[in-house]
Amino acid sequence: MSGAKTVGLTIDGRNIQVPEGTNVLRAAEQAGIAIPHFCYHPGLEVEGNCRMCLVEIEGLPKLELSCSTLVREGMVVRTSTECVRQARKDVLGFLLAEHPLDCPICPKAGECRLQEYYELHGRYAGRMIEPRERREKKLPIGRGLLLDRERCVLCTRCVRFLRGYTRTGELGIFERGVRSEVGIFDGQPVDNDYSGNLVDICPVGAITADDFRFKTRAWFLKRRPSVCPHCSRGCAVVVEFVAGYPLRRSEKRVYRITARENAAVNGFWICDLGRDGRHDIDDGRHDRLLKAGAPAAGLSWPKALADVAAVIRSVPGPERTGKIAVVLNARLTCEELALAKGLFVTGLGSGKVFFADRKPGAADGLLLTSDRVPNGRGALEAGLELRPADLDEIATSQVLLVFGSALAGHFEKQEIARAFAAVPSKYLFAAHTGPLDRLTDLVFPVAVPAEKSGTYVNTDGIRQTFDRAVDPCPGVVPEGAIFACLANLLGLNLGDFDAR
Amino acid sequence: MVENEVRLLPDDDGSWRIEAYLRRNGYQGARKALTTMSPESVVAEVCKAVIRGRGGAGFPAGVKWGFVPKGAAGPKYLCVNADEGEPGTFKDRLVLLRAPHALLEGMLIAAYAVGLRTAYVYVRAEYAGLAARLDEAIAEARAAGFLGERVFGTGFGLEVVVHLGAGAYICGEETALLESLEGRRGQPRLKPPFPAAVGLFRSPTVINNVETLAAIPQILAHGADWFLGRGLPRDGGTRLFGVSGAVRRPGVYELPVGTPLRTLIEVHAGGPPEGRSIKAVIPGGLSAPVLLPDELDISLDVDSLAKAGSMLGSAGVVVIPDGTPMLDVLHVTARFYAHESCGKCTPCRIGTSWIFKTVERLRRDGGGPADLDHVLRLADGIRGRTLCPFGEGAALPVRALILKFRGELEQAVAR
Amino acid sequence: MSYTPSPAALARIERTLALYPEKLAAILPVLHAVQADAGFISHEAEAWVAARLAVEPVRVREVLSFYTMFRRAPGGRATLRVCRNITCTLAGAGDILDLIKDKLGIGPGETTPDGAITLVTAECLGHCDHAPCLQVNGVDHGPVTRETVAALIEELKAHG
Repeated sequence: MSGAKTVGLTIDGRNIQVPEGTNVLRAAEQAGIAIPHFCYHPGLEVEGNCRMCLVEIEGLPKLELSCSTLVREGMVVRTSTECVRQARKDVLGFLLAEHPLDCPICPKAGECRLQEYYELHGRYAGRMIEPRERREKKLPIGRGLLLDRERCVLCTRCVRFLRGYTRTGELGIFERGVRSEVGIFDGQPVDNDYSGNLVDICPVGAITADDFRFKTRAWFLKRRPSVCPHCSRGCAVVVEFVAGYPLRRSEKRVYRITARENAAVNGFWICDLGRDGRHDIDDGRHDRLLKAGAPAAGLSWPKALADVAAVIRSVPGPERTGKIAVVLNARLTCEELALAKGLFVTGLGSGKVFFADRKPGAADGLLLTSDRVPNGRGALEAGLELRPADLDEIATSQVLLVFGSALAGHFEKQEIARAFAAVPSKYLFAAHTGPLDRLTDLVFPVAVPAEKSGTYVNTDGIRQTFDRAVDPCPGVVPEGAIFACLANLLGLNLGDFDAR
Repeated sequence: MVENEVRLLPDDDGSWRIEAYLRRNGYQGARKALTTMSPESVVAEVCKAVIRGRGGAGFPAGVKWGFVPKGAAGPKYLCVNADEGEPGTFKDRLVLLRAPHALLEGMLIAAYAVGLRTAYVYVRAEYAGLAARLDEAIAEARAAGFLGERVFGTGFGLEVVVHLGAGAYICGEETALLESLEGRRGQPRLKPPFPAAVGLFRSPTVINNVETLAAIPQILAHGADWFLGRGLPRDGGTRLFGVSGAVRRPGVYELPVGTPLRTLIEVHAGGPPEGRSIKAVIPGGLSAPVLLPDELDISLDVDSLAKAGSMLGSAGVVVIPDGTPMLDVLHVTARFYAHESCGKCTPCRIGTSWIFKTVERLRRDGGGPADLDHVLRLADGIRGRTLCPFGEGAALPVRALILKFRGELEQAVAR
Repeated sequence: MSYTPSPAALARIERTLALYPEKLAAILPVLHAVQADAGFISHEAEAWVAARLAVEPVRVREVLSFYTMFRRAPGGRATLRVCRNITCTLAGAGDILDLIKDKLGIGPGETTPDGAITLVTAECLGHCDHAPCLQVNGVDHGPVTRETVAALIEELKAHG
């Protein structure tokens, strides 16, 4: 690393070194000490209004904010003295006095800072017997977000996010004193593609998402890290899903996608497209093998793949270049793309390897890229050319393997039908149902990125390897396993691979 | 009044215009500063005079001026705090009414000393009529060449803008004043950075109270030693002490710093009316903890009041007569802070409201000692924990009332 | 139904804007000008001010709702502002306020049905040596007595 200056200080007796410019709260974090706070957020401008992060700093007469005090050489900080403990109790006491305490019906229960901090730092007998302020509890503020003004602790994270990050500034603070409340101007609700972050950053149940309220409970959710596959930014995400009890067929598993911190890629935020992407994981999924688009008796993976391999083998070697057509996609991981290349290009010698993907959109100047696939660069790195599908070339093939259903978005239905009809053997490997299903001989249900492990290379060339977050339904298989299996059946040695 | 001739406030409203001010040696201090002294020596002189801020905080003005970085690129600003809102205080009103040119002259000297060219006078909206007079005085000063470009033929100039507030006591806090002036809600800022480094429009800024600035010309005209000598070694000059409440002659009295409080009340303000006696005295505006009748032999200077657990603050003395229910005083106090809390930080936003709701209930339905203890605890949860000194104002007077009048309050709430 | 200030108000607003290096800083004087022009600040006026200052309307509402001197609904022809802070309370402001409420039949924050008078309570008006005091349309009155207040109200009712 470069010669970044570090500062030595002592926190609760522990000596640590942190970069110059670090605040005491973050320094404590690095020392493994969690100082409670509501309004501070490393991605937002410091406000210092909640007063929860007060600590003792030797030599200073009053308690000081750890979020806004920068470390100094030799500073001695104490975060657990009686004075500090009492200060935290008092702040909690104030916040909870003007709070509805309606945890049983609040979606934030289980991941609420008021609950968490009361457990850790409160534990006092409440004394508020005066009538508390009564306010609106379900104010729509845009993009499916609801504001509960009684639960709001006025940390202003939401206001600062919309002013500092999206620069759309839809939210403000109205009135004064205890009457203060978050609000919008008439007819100008929150309307930007980063609105979901407001729910993430709200420390209490004040801003909640309509599509999460009353659907499940935070403690039922498992949380696994993944990488968002909906554009080439590759934001770090958390897939939050319910597992552990039997689900009915096609019952939703994934309830939320939330942001995960990655300083090099997405900072602290993700866009709403990525959050909505959870529907991709559960909705409209293929979960069984299909023959001519419909379920059939007697279908099994080993037999079906063996049939495909046999068909491929039946194409004479010299003819394979023009007779075997493959449509890949840039949602495949680097590992899968390497296998695909080894199988189709090097191994089978196909000269008709195409890519069909979601069409590009507009970049938004923040995280969303115009490229709406996660691994375009990964494909190029694997030595594959991102050739758009050519229906004429496809029509003159003998065998067609289509991975993914994005082809349907690039051509008219009749054109595809005509081209496919001309191919004797055509197979679809897709995660979601679509118009291509009925046009193929067999449909193989495959996994979505959240159900796979592998590597993506993002738009800036950053490689991100992720583990499977959610288990696929039984009978759903990642493409990598299919490539490996076919190679095996065809007697092709693809070298080492990891078919997790 | 004051022994020798030099006074900040004329006796009447009739001599505020520039002609009368010039006859009183007006603008001589500024002339001396701008034409014969360096900015640094002006700052040094004001430091030597030990003039403590007369807005409430009592911070030495010269020291504050010295915090502005020299040779900083870009504009710098002077903000005049005319947001006089501390209950019981009405002295700045009189300065605006009777001595607006003293204020302008002080601003001119301050601007020269610090090296700035634009000043905003933040006048509370309730003083709109006085702001109009200030506009007139500015026009007079400009016509006479004391404002605008090339004052006294030097390269120095000053533009003054009068800016009305809109009804918020908290805008008297200097960083809240800056926020308000920049067009936002009047909510205080975190310090550091301090306004001398990052102030109005992110530029170095000096904020001074009206009276503080109006007293500056005297320092330049007659010397720091003279000014300092009129007061105390650590708190120089004379000050405008306001007296209101149960006294025969409420009003503003220009007296040396160090005058005993009892002298102010009984000699100058005439003491309580016939047949009445003093029950309590608030010595420095509502934010100053109350004093009992046997605590009135105290010197009216910043340090003495602080040592006595109160404050000189804005020097607004309120005399509370016998027979006044202290529960009513507690109620007015609690209501004021709840109403004026800006709402930014947790302890003040919720604490002031909780205290008021409790006192409201006690006054209406009665209660017991436990309720008073509870209010004390709430006050303890506020003081020392807030983003700005409003927290101390909200907590300390309430504390003092309960501690010093505990017996009466317990009786008053018992049902 | 949008709002545009009168030519005189517009001229005043433009002059004001020239006094500040940043447009938003002029918001208080601009809002005062709009209130003087229209009697109160409507939603449409908020939008107009926001556009003129090149800020989001929510910023205008933030400011408008923070300060006490702005009216967000039409008010009376006269505003009666009665101090209720410490010195005035000691001098009998509570009694004066009760008298006014009685005579006008309204409470603080309300306007008489005939549109003549809006009554508001205020914190310290800085006129403590003339307690109890009040302001009528920004003009100071004090010390007031039951009699002088009664007369004042009659006059306001009569002449608006």
